Amino acid sequence: MLRFQPGRVATGVDEDGMLVWSEERLVAVLVRLSEIHAGLDLVGHWFLETGYGRLDVGDKPTFADLDAARAWIAARLGVEG
Amino acid sequence: MTPPSTAPSHVLIAKLESITDLTPEEREAITALPMRVQEVLADQDLVREGDRPAQCTLVIEGFACRFKFTDKGRRQIFAFHTPGDMPDLLSLHLKTLDHSVGTVSACRLAFIQHEHMRELLRRHPRLTDAFWRDTLIDGAIFREWMLGLGRHDARTRAARFFCEMVTRLRAVGLERDGTVPLPLTQAELADALGLSTVHVNRVVQELRRERLIAFEDGALTVIDWAGLTLAGEFDPAYLHLDR
Repeated sequence: MLRFQPGRVATGVDEDGMLVWSEERLVAVLVRLSEIHAGLDLVGHWFLETGYGRLDVGDKPTFADLDAARAWIAARLGVEG
Repeated sequence: MTPPSTAPSHVLIAKLESITDLTPEEREAITALPMRVQEVLADQDLVREGDRPAQCTLVIEGFACRFKFTDKGRRQIFAFHTPGDMPDLLSLHLKTLDHSVGTVSACRLAFIQHEHMRELLRRHPRLTDAFWRDTLIDGAIFREWMLGLGRHDARTRAARFFCEMVTRLRAVGLERDGTVPLPLTQAELADALGLSTVHVNRVVQELRRERLIAFEDGALTVIDWAGLTLAGEFDPAYLHLDR
């Protein structure tokens, strides 16, 4: 079971974040992309800022919403969302 | 960019003269080199990994790049090539290409048959030295990129990349009032800098906010050269420019 915990992330620009826990282990940090990413059409999307273990992927994905992020994380970890 | 009327040999001469000196006979021999000129759209493969080309490509206008994909389909861009560069010159001696070359923007290219290149170099041994020097500088740029990809943070990596492109484009006469053409998307920058598009966008925005650069519509303007070279820890020595 995944648990999402809101928190600020010191990226300097995209600070609205979400810590993702699986059981009692931190598996990922997501941040909500700010208006500086308008040129990429990604404002409001969630970005995998950091992933640990199986979520430490080279191509860091973005997600349209937290449900999409939850589904991707659950599938990669092989756990329930 | 280079005006369309520019003879293909002119950009090659300008490039070689940015790193060495040429005699009038050598310039004449390059001008006489048979070249087939072709316009190619953006994002087209020119030669692919595994190909055995019988010709070399000269960029007359536009930007090309050299790249390779991982098995998972992730692309690393090794180098960007600008007017005057021959991105697949190595095919003259390495029969099978170990990476691919493609256009980044729409390009005007000239293709030179290997046999004509060999004939030119046989008749003008000093040009062999010039192309050897160019190849060594290509290697020096690769070393700098390796240093950047392996050891520099995202901001430094991006800043030094912008410094390098401005310096190289200036050397071949493509800088106008502090502005150079740089028709790269954030995705292409990401593939070259080994970063996500989100990280590239963050550092580009940061360099803009700090009034070091302006970067829009495929053009890069340096606003604060001292600040940008400091941010990029940039020393142009590795480009070995002659002037």
